[in-house]
Amino acid sequence: MSSKAPQGPDNVTRNLVIGMVVLVVAVGAIFSVISNRENTSAALPSSVSQDEGYGIVFNGDLTGVPVIDIWEDFQCPVCARFEQTNGDYIEKLIEEKKAKVVYHTLSFLGPESVLAANAAACASDENKFLGFHKAFYQNLPAENSGAVTTDYLVGLGQGVGITSEKFKNCVAGLNYQGWVNNVAAAGSEKNVNSTPTVFINGKEIRRATSGTDLGEYFDPSAFAKAVEGK
Amino acid sequence: MKKAQPWIGLIARLSLGGVLLYAGYLKALTPDKSMMAVRAYELLPIWLANIFGVVLPWLEIGAGVLLIIGIAIRYVAIFGSALMITFVIAISQAWARGLSIDCGCFGDGGAIDPSQTKYLETILRDIGFALLGFYLIRYPLTKFALEKRESRQEKPSHALTPGE
Repeated sequence: MSSKAPQGPDNVTRNLVIGMVVLVVAVGAIFSVISNRENTSAALPSSVSQDEGYGIVFNGDLTGVPVIDIWEDFQCPVCARFEQTNGDYIEKLIEEKKAKVVYHTLSFLGPESVLAANAAACASDENKFLGFHKAFYQNLPAENSGAVTTDYLVGLGQGVGITSEKFKNCVAGLNYQGWVNNVAAAGSEKNVNSTPTVFINGKEIRRATSGTDLGEYFDPSAFAKAVEGK
Repeated sequence: MKKAQPWIGLIARLSLGGVLLYAGYLKALTPDKSMMAVRAYELLPIWLANIFGVVLPWLEIGAGVLLIIGIAIRYVAIFGSALMITFVIAISQAWARGLSIDCGCFGDGGAIDPSQTKYLETILRDIGFALLGFYLIRYPLTKFALEKRESRQEKPSHALTPGE
């Protein structure tokens, strides 16, 4: 009726494009929501407790001792600093059965965090989690640089005395990928918004407030005080 | 000015659409971080923040694509401006409450060191994008849009011709 360009085809294209975009958005969003959910049928590494946010638990049978929950990402440099500062002390607490310690390996920094967390779980099956954990942070590669590969992780494992074929297959096959995802889901539920996040008896320890104040995270004596109470 | 209008509109469309698409894409790749970013604002209950963190990137991608190809411009611009205003409010309240967080706009996010916060820059940037959205709501006819006419204007012109 008007002198304008015909509207019929234009409207069809318009609705078609809108429909396609809406479809992609809906599928993407739904897929994303589902894949970030906890998967209760995922294989769990040894010493993992579902009730402890899928963390790897040390001294789970002890009662009346402080409970330390450590949420970290293997690729996070600040977590490496925390490990450097307090790692030996925490290992000593575990050895001397003076604390229950739960490691939660998050993976939000990228695919190499997933590889590392999976490998750490494989190491846990060999009772070598702590050694692997320490060795990884001591040689922390640059974030998502491609340095963390199956070979790299298997080599790291050999360095701490894991030589079994089972470990190799576990690392290469990403056997605990579902579990890694579950740890992430548990972290979302626990409102963990940065790494490292450390809870002692369920209460987060004090963060640094300025350049000179190290908080309870990076001052070893302050951390020990927080663990031992008062 | 009249001649420049569709060209300004084109720039507004591509800028707002481009930033939405880019930000959405980066966040869709790292859903864990995106959820973390929304939680860190401490505005929504945790479960809702987590859903929002996963769904929002996809909405941004959709809106970005529609703006860039130029379809339903006015409606998408309303959505885009509303989103930007929401961000400004969320960031302002985080600033006012003394939280130290990254805005999480481009796939980062969560709690950060107080010295690394960039609240003012982020707020000004988002106000800028909201203004681009307002421009498109007011002048939705732009150069090189797939849709030549704004649907809102079609209907009245149709309805009037036969009656008159």
